[in-house]
Amino acid sequence: MGKLKLWFLQTMMISFAILVGIILEGVVYLIVDNDPLSEMSLDWYQLLSIVLTGAVCSLFSVILLCRESVSKKEYLIRVIIHCVLLYGLVVLIGKIFTWYTKLEGFLLVTIIYFLVYVFVWVSTIFLQKQDENKINKALGDIRDEE
Amino acid sequence: MKVTIEKAGSKEEEQAIIKAFEITGDIKSAAELLEGDSGSLPVTLDGKTFILKHNAIYYIESVDKKTFVYTKDACYESKYRLYELEKLLLGYFMRCSKATILNLKKVKSVKSEMSGRLNATLLNNEVIVISRGYVKEVKGRLGI
Repeated sequence: MGKLKLWFLQTMMISFAILVGIILEGVVYLIVDNDPLSEMSLDWYQLLSIVLTGAVCSLFSVILLCRESVSKKEYLIRVIIHCVLLYGLVVLIGKIFTWYTKLEGFLLVTIIYFLVYVFVWVSTIFLQKQDENKINKALGDIRDEE
Repeated sequence: MKVTIEKAGSKEEEQAIIKAFEITGDIKSAAELLEGDSGSLPVTLDGKTFILKHNAIYYIESVDKKTFVYTKDACYESKYRLYELEKLLLGYFMRCSKATILNLKKVKSVKSEMSGRLNATLLNNEVIVISRGYVKEVKGRLGI
């Protein structure tokens, strides 16, 4: 897959994930706060900010993680750098576009960010392991006897 | 033996099923022919030329514009370029990275990495990397 195509697809995925995160944030406010609209509102520029965040985050992903010829240790370091960079970016864009205004909102964005980040990696590794098992089973059927 | 040939919808759907009462030499030869294992490849080692059967090849690697053919315990040089061998070798031979063609029939197991690539352990315990970009093709070739 070309890096440009990967960047576009990741932008769509991350934008969608952020939107889901914001909806979850709204649901939490709805449950804990009697007047959720006092904290939560979604203007047109915020929708734009979501796509912008998706584009920048996926650019970091393409630059940092689309490298196969690195050792396991280096790849893990890249993942940690990626996680911290993206978190900084989400916090910054969240502040600029008022995704949160109070400390509670900031904490909620932080929690959602790390939950989504861990979820994405866990599901990716789970799917990879499933593929690995299917491939190993199929290889067993065609393998040459030595 | 009765032979029936049906038209397949696409190249990926092509398959041959042999129903045999007994696995004879002829049946094995027919299977090898269909799987593309029956051919041979001229290779050189220490200035001598050898004829290598396709089914003896584990993988082929291109290094500094030279093509090396690896078997269970030897390494030969080929005059062919990698893209030529890709067309020449059929069956379960497939490109697994920019510089390597792998014989899937010689793979003992694969292990996935976080980066999305696969490490393939061959029957002689050598480890070959299957790049992320080729994993989908591997799955397709194995009918997954």
